[in-house]
Amino acid sequence: MVLRIRLARFGNKHTPFYNIVVAQARSARGAKPVEVIGTYNPIPKKPTNLYDDSTHVRPYKEIALDRARAKYWLGVGAQPSDPVWKLMSMAGLVEQKPTTFHKA
Amino acid sequence: MAPRIQSRRLSNALLPYLTSSQSSSTSSISSTCPSSKLFSRQFSSTAASQTRLRRHMFQWLSTEGAALKHHIPGETNYLPSRPDRDGNSNESSRPFPGNRNFVSESVLSEDLRNEVYVRVVEKKKSLRAVSVELGIDMKRIAAVVRLVEMERRQRAQGKPLSLPYARAVHEMIPTTALAQEGERQPYHEPINDLPAHPSTGAQIFYPVPESRSFTRVDAGRVFSGAPTLEKAVADKISHPSDLVDEIIENPNSIEWVGKGEKARQVLQPADVRIPHPQLIKLEIDRKAFPNERRAVTQRHAERLEKQEAAEQQRRERAQARREKSIQHVEPEGSRFDYRIQDAKFTRETVGADGRAPWAPGRRYGVPADDRKRGMVKIPTRVEA
Repeated sequence: MVLRIRLARFGNKHTPFYNIVVAQARSARGAKPVEVIGTYNPIPKKPTNLYDDSTHVRPYKEIALDRARAKYWLGVGAQPSDPVWKLMSMAGLVEQKPTTFHKA
Repeated sequence: MAPRIQSRRLSNALLPYLTSSQSSSTSSISSTCPSSKLFSRQFSSTAASQTRLRRHMFQWLSTEGAALKHHIPGETNYLPSRPDRDGNSNESSRPFPGNRNFVSESVLSEDLRNEVYVRVVEKKKSLRAVSVELGIDMKRIAAVVRLVEMERRQRAQGKPLSLPYARAVHEMIPTTALAQEGERQPYHEPINDLPAHPSTGAQIFYPVPESRSFTRVDAGRVFSGAPTLEKAVADKISHPSDLVDEIIENPNSIEWVGKGEKARQVLQPADVRIPHPQLIKLEIDRKAFPNERRAVTQRHAERLEKQEAAEQQRRERAQARREKSIQHVEPEGSRFDYRIQDAKFTRETVGADGRAPWAPGRRYGVPADDRKRGMVKIPTRVEA
């Protein structure tokens, strides 16, 4: 069976929070995974401790990732799902996937 | 900024309502409060007479209370307390004559809080030094700087400030004023207070031979269950405050005892844990060299500078370490930045079953207590 690196949703209604997990591809989203290797909080945060509100700062999203474990699981053939691929490409662990669309 | 004390007399906003015509208020009471007495009178056409207490109230308002109707700016407008056995009753800090335990604490005056901001932000003095100079707790100093910063920003943005309210409150409560040139700044509050450490709550019977010296350092070790110090090490410590320098430079030098979850650092003597440990050395020096004031002050300043440099260095190192573990990514065409933090999901960090409460990420098979009674959700501290 295929091992996938994918997101498992936690959190309450309207407050998603994801564990980045390594799991058997056909197991349920909420099932206990093979391993947790990180977290992803998709709710953007505003940087705090800014003394000047007028400067425009971009909100950020938080990712926590165990790079060593991620590399190991990629090495043994685990396949990242599309959202995890995007996160991992930002962390520099995989090549960016070519987009299938063109922005106008 | 001009002082906010005004010469104009302000009147208490509540008093006009209390002294207004009594018939209207009685009628509203009789319609809303169905007490047995009022029920028995509901067919009577005679107007209800005043209750005794109400009559006393209006009597008081017209005699003694009349003096409190207008307050004198800059003084508290509290009820005069009944004279005690010794006959002295001039206690302006007790607003409730029936509750002698309630003392209204003074707040920082406008000038003093602006001075705090000027010293910290414009003169770049450390919070520690300003705290000692002005006799204000370090936490309050930090809060004042944040609030004044906020006020300045609101002024710059042209947002309305509730100045009349602030002015009225400041006129009626005790305040700590900023000392004039050449005067000594009075202490606003005790600055070197230390909360009782939970591990000192235990009552321990610890027999010590009379021939052995037993200091606060040893007491801390007993409370935290650490073995007794080696004699060679203990002899080097002439006073518990000797430990301060080393611990400030390297807080990790404090010894650990216990294993696993119960691991804890050895309880240090109060001389080390107080907010301003350097003041102890200053006092010792003052006693030892009463005639060399300037030299003592200079030595204190040097110590303080060294301490602050060490603390600053430590903060910068910690910040650099934190920054190093976070990778900032700004993808093209995205509205958001991403911060990728290194995490370690090993047996130590997630526990043997992967469910340790301190592990990163969310748990499997462990109920989330976030909606339980008493769980605090609002932030309880401000990250510096």
